[in-house]
Amino acid sequence: MTPLLPRGRFLGGAEIAAILVFVASFAVPMLTKSVLVYSVLNQALVGVVAAQSVWIMLRMNLLSFASPAFMAIGGYTVAIAGQHDITDVFVLTAASFVLPALVAVPLGALVLRLRGTYFVLVTFVLSQIMQLLLFETPGLTGGSNGISGIPAATLFGTELASNRQVVMFACGIALLATVITVCLTRYFRQHFAAIEENEILAESLGLVVWRYKALGFVVAAGVAGLAGYSLVTMLLTAHPSSFDSGTAVDFIAYTIVGGRTSILGPIVGTGLLVYATNLFGTHGQYAQGLYGVLILVVVLALRGGIVGTVASLTRRVR
Amino acid sequence: MDQFIQAGIIGVSLGAQYALLALGFTLIFGILGVVNFSHGGFYMLGGYVAFACVDRLGVPYPLAVLAAVAATAALGWVFELLLIERLVDDHLATLMLTLGLYLIVSTALLQIFGPLSMDFRFPVTGAVRAGPIYAPLENLIVLGICLVAILGLWLILFRTDLGRALRALADDRAVAMAQGLRPKLLFPAAFALATGLAGLTGALVTPILSLSPGVGDPVLATSFLTVILGGLGSLGGAALAAFVVGIVEAYTSVYFGGSIGALMLFVMVLLLLVFRPQGLLGREARGA
Repeated sequence: MTPLLPRGRFLGGAEIAAILVFVASFAVPMLTKSVLVYSVLNQALVGVVAAQSVWIMLRMNLLSFASPAFMAIGGYTVAIAGQHDITDVFVLTAASFVLPALVAVPLGALVLRLRGTYFVLVTFVLSQIMQLLLFETPGLTGGSNGISGIPAATLFGTELASNRQVVMFACGIALLATVITVCLTRYFRQHFAAIEENEILAESLGLVVWRYKALGFVVAAGVAGLAGYSLVTMLLTAHPSSFDSGTAVDFIAYTIVGGRTSILGPIVGTGLLVYATNLFGTHGQYAQGLYGVLILVVVLALRGGIVGTVASLTRRVR
Repeated sequence: MDQFIQAGIIGVSLGAQYALLALGFTLIFGILGVVNFSHGGFYMLGGYVAFACVDRLGVPYPLAVLAAVAATAALGWVFELLLIERLVDDHLATLMLTLGLYLIVSTALLQIFGPLSMDFRFPVTGAVRAGPIYAPLENLIVLGICLVAILGLWLILFRTDLGRALRALADDRAVAMAQGLRPKLLFPAAFALATGLAGLTGALVTPILSLSPGVGDPVLATSFLTVILGGLGSLGGAALAAFVVGIVEAYTSVYFGGSIGALMLFVMVLLLLVFRPQGLLGREARGA
């Protein structure tokens, strides 16, 4: 898998900005004790990791509804490990990335044969299957009750139990996921761009397309697993409803509304939509309507999403 | 044995409902190449329009069903004409548009009718008995109407000029347009026909099952399941697969309980998608 030599710097401005956002996010729990801020920030930090998983696949023009399925594998891995008193952050982070990624290897071999619409449908079916599996395996996953009372994660033997520590942990996971996403999409950016542009042409020019698609799928699954870990740590419970296939729609909305052309897209989209959802207060269910309207606006009028539109406006001003 | 026959009747009745949904879904994909994520939304809207007509306006149920068909077909027509039409060749974009519409429709219904289930009952109750076997009357009526609707759709598609035109567009759009067919007129018509069918199913089935803002999600999943099994874009395949899904669902729920049946169907569909993306009866369409 020899990469084409990336021209120019490895990291672009967007990637550096993305990493800096999450480095800076550690400051928020230091500066405030507001429970509301903690809650919104934590939701956004979970959402942004899941959205990055969607974004990785969109780099290859593949829209995936499978992120909740891989989140469930990551989340339940941590919950089950917790039941066996395994709470070390490093072990669980590695497990919540590696296990979904391993599951994605054989699945990828099956589903990546499909393109476009068929790929969308098969990933939708995958997340439905995962939901049903969670309900049908009560011995392992607690079935419809889920697994509650997950012990707090431990870092070098110290429990991360306070609200502040949980948010800091989510910042760490989001930073890690961003670094992984950046490394993958920058290192293979020309390969992914070729596949996004015209897969058949890329293949005819000698690019071994399935390798890069499989790699993207496996890493996207691992990143979704990290989001699952972060979610389970936030909720202190692993429940099938947290990994409902409908949540995939939210992550897709974050990515599309933010813009699919840059890694800043899912970050800006998630931040904005999670903030907007919380503005609705107790009527959070109405946020779905807002997502719907924004999706229509972006698809019809602002094809680059928020980040793409701002970037093109900036170029025009210059 | 009686249980076996009764489960069979329920299965066929479910199959007919699924067929109406799947035929609409596959019609839109076959003709426009659009995966309609708002199909469950139109089903739900059909249910709520019929409910509102009966409950709020005092309209007789049969007329309420017609109103539901008209409303969902009209919304489908307008949505296709104003939004889908602009990006009809971009599969991902149209998929996102229908997803956006679904989110808007379900939120609007939630806003208007609230999150609780509606008290919407089928006007006819009772059961038909034949010895030890009996079948609920409302299921038989819905089965009858569904079969008539399927026959009507078949007549439209295979015995009228409109149907021939739609099938020509599905077959090869460029050639059909060169022959003078106008997609700008026919695409909205196809979309309206399909969404009207979803609305009809919603108006007929929600009084028997339930009517709440969440009922669109499982409908979408079942429509997916059915059309993938039958082959995206294949009308005969969708109808056949709908009865397979209905019957499998009825028997597994009677003999195994829980969601084992649904799990089996989904795994079956996953394997079919991977190894035979064209489905049971379909031919490979639009590059899987």
